[in-house]
Amino acid sequence: MTTFLQILLNGLMLGGLFAIVSIGLTLIFGIIKVVNFAHGEFLMGGMFITWLITTQMGLHPYAAVIVVVPVLFVMGALTQRLLIQPLMSARDDHIQIFATVGLSTALINLALLIFGADIANTPPHGLRAPLEFGELRLLTGQVMIFGAAIVLVIGLELFLKYTQTGRAIRAVAQNRGAAELMGINVNHIYVLTFGLGAACVGLAAVLIAPLYPTSSNIGTYFVLTAFVVVVLGGLGSIPGAFLGALIIGEVDALSGYYIGSDLREAVVFGLFLLILILRPSGLFGARQNLSHLS
Amino acid sequence: MTTRSILLGTALGLSLASGAFADVKIGSLYPFSGPLALLGEESARGLDLAVDQINAAGGLHGDRIVLERGDAVDNNQAIGEARRLISLEGVKAVFGTYSSSRVIAASQVTELAGIPYFELGAVADEVTGRGMTYLFRTNPTAENMGIAVIDMLADQIAPAAGKAPEDLKIGIIYEDSSYGTSVAGHEVAHAKERGLNVVLKSGYPANIVDMSSLVLDLKGKGVDVVLQTSYQNDTVLFLQQANEAGYKPMAIIGGGGGYSMQPTADAVGTDVIDGVYDVDFTQYAINPDFTPGIETFLDAYRAKYGEEPRSGHSLTNYVGALAVLQAIGEGEGFEPDQIVASVKAMDIPDGSTAAGYGVKFDDTNQNERARMMGMQWQDGKLLTVYPPDAAVAEIRQSE
Repeated sequence: MTTFLQILLNGLMLGGLFAIVSIGLTLIFGIIKVVNFAHGEFLMGGMFITWLITTQMGLHPYAAVIVVVPVLFVMGALTQRLLIQPLMSARDDHIQIFATVGLSTALINLALLIFGADIANTPPHGLRAPLEFGELRLLTGQVMIFGAAIVLVIGLELFLKYTQTGRAIRAVAQNRGAAELMGINVNHIYVLTFGLGAACVGLAAVLIAPLYPTSSNIGTYFVLTAFVVVVLGGLGSIPGAFLGALIIGEVDALSGYYIGSDLREAVVFGLFLLILILRPSGLFGARQNLSHLS
Repeated sequence: MTTRSILLGTALGLSLASGAFADVKIGSLYPFSGPLALLGEESARGLDLAVDQINAAGGLHGDRIVLERGDAVDNNQAIGEARRLISLEGVKAVFGTYSSSRVIAASQVTELAGIPYFELGAVADEVTGRGMTYLFRTNPTAENMGIAVIDMLADQIAPAAGKAPEDLKIGIIYEDSSYGTSVAGHEVAHAKERGLNVVLKSGYPANIVDMSSLVLDLKGKGVDVVLQTSYQNDTVLFLQQANEAGYKPMAIIGGGGGYSMQPTADAVGTDVIDGVYDVDFTQYAINPDFTPGIETFLDAYRAKYGEEPRSGHSLTNYVGALAVLQAIGEGEGFEPDQIVASVKAMDIPDGSTAAGYGVKFDDTNQNERARMMGMQWQDGKLLTVYPPDAAVAEIRQSE
């Protein structure tokens, strides 16, 4: 019984980890309708900056949030303004996908050039210390990630529902053409949203860096699962992504123990396909119109 | 004497004269850029140092060796660079390659061209054994790794703990690409030969982000000895998560990859990695009587690069290259068949190279004397503990 509870807890924590990585992606995907393949590399960049600040200045890794989140916001905003926006008018939307794939490869190799192929270790400053509940164990850092994911989901929902900017963002997501006619500067909203999405992954980077060794290809470890989470949650639904992440986390942990580590991916992706067949718009997805103009 | 024969004679004389002062070109094919660049470059340094040593001693048949570098950044480029080295640079042989998939690709080109290819560092079983005439491998393989892991466990670790090897429950975990899968397969096969009890064998993708389920599984099955074949991230992840779950097996034996690297020890902490075993290429904390020439290598390395070697790859490549080049120097010349004949005649006994093992090629052109060494992390250092004649430290029992 203890083992079962421990596995459930591990799955929950893993779900929190997947959630915090996926929230930014679902925001960008839901509003701008751009599949950002460089999302994992934004995470990697944030983790390297966290590592630099922690090791060079001897600060607690969480203190790096003051630098990492704004830097990632600017990175995201620039990506939208300089890379995606010029391609928005391209005849085929898929061009943007290739652009983000290119950005991803460029960032990985840039990191290789700057930081080398070795791993970088952010000192955990006690975040790896276990919290014990009877025989059950959790890491302090994992609990922080889980808590931060919940706060971020609620915060973003409130922002999107109750602020003027948030409403503008949702209006653009619902109908770009109509929003433009109502006087919303769509390009500004896109730049802002991409920046916000990247800032979210910046927060994730700060929280993850003390728990995982940073390397140039760390982003690729998370990004595939993040895409699954986003699609499962219903393409752009933030609470949906959170729930999707928890499901994937639990399935991953349970199948890893009861079925076998080599088959966990088969189980996770098998379930993913099954849900897609039964609910093609994802768990929380309403029937969305993914066209840019109508 | 006709004009024609005079011309021929002059041409012959000229070519002989220029030959006497010419350089002999050798290809150096490694991944010098891209994700494998760090250890690719480290491997290439071993070849560079071997060539320096041969040139300082007068070169090969009086010719100075010149290395032409080829960047095998991916499989396609490995093929392209092998072609360029052969046709454009006119190399007499190619040395390389660190990555198994690169040598498997590039050696097809050299084999067709009939140019000898000396693999000094790639471990996959498939590199040799494809019936190639001109491909030789000096370094130990995945099979050597699997055998060394099991032998070290049965002959050293279990007796030191006062246990019969058959009574130990063994769990084998491995990243599921061809590297981990093949080493794990050899571990299982050799454990069976030696009558050991493998209770769990489980692969996982190398980009795994959570191994807690696997740790719980090992713990639940009461596994005494964990054998892991892994890269760096999954090594760090497993050691950390096992420690955090309070799982302390009698022994953890890692297969190369992440287990030999100092950054891994820094990442998990010296207290966590203390007592962990590792099987890999020869490392530097080893009995110098068993590895004559290792000091010469280290001095030359420090003098040329101004730092300590970053891994055992340079030493392994240096030993293979030096042995092969010396054999070529003792042979008839640089024609492919002369090179093949001279290296096939090699018979260097164990304990007489800087890596410890000897060199003698078997029917598949694999060095049958190559083997891996066993190490243990003690007080933050990776010390050789197996085989006994190479050891610099006793095995330390963890509590």
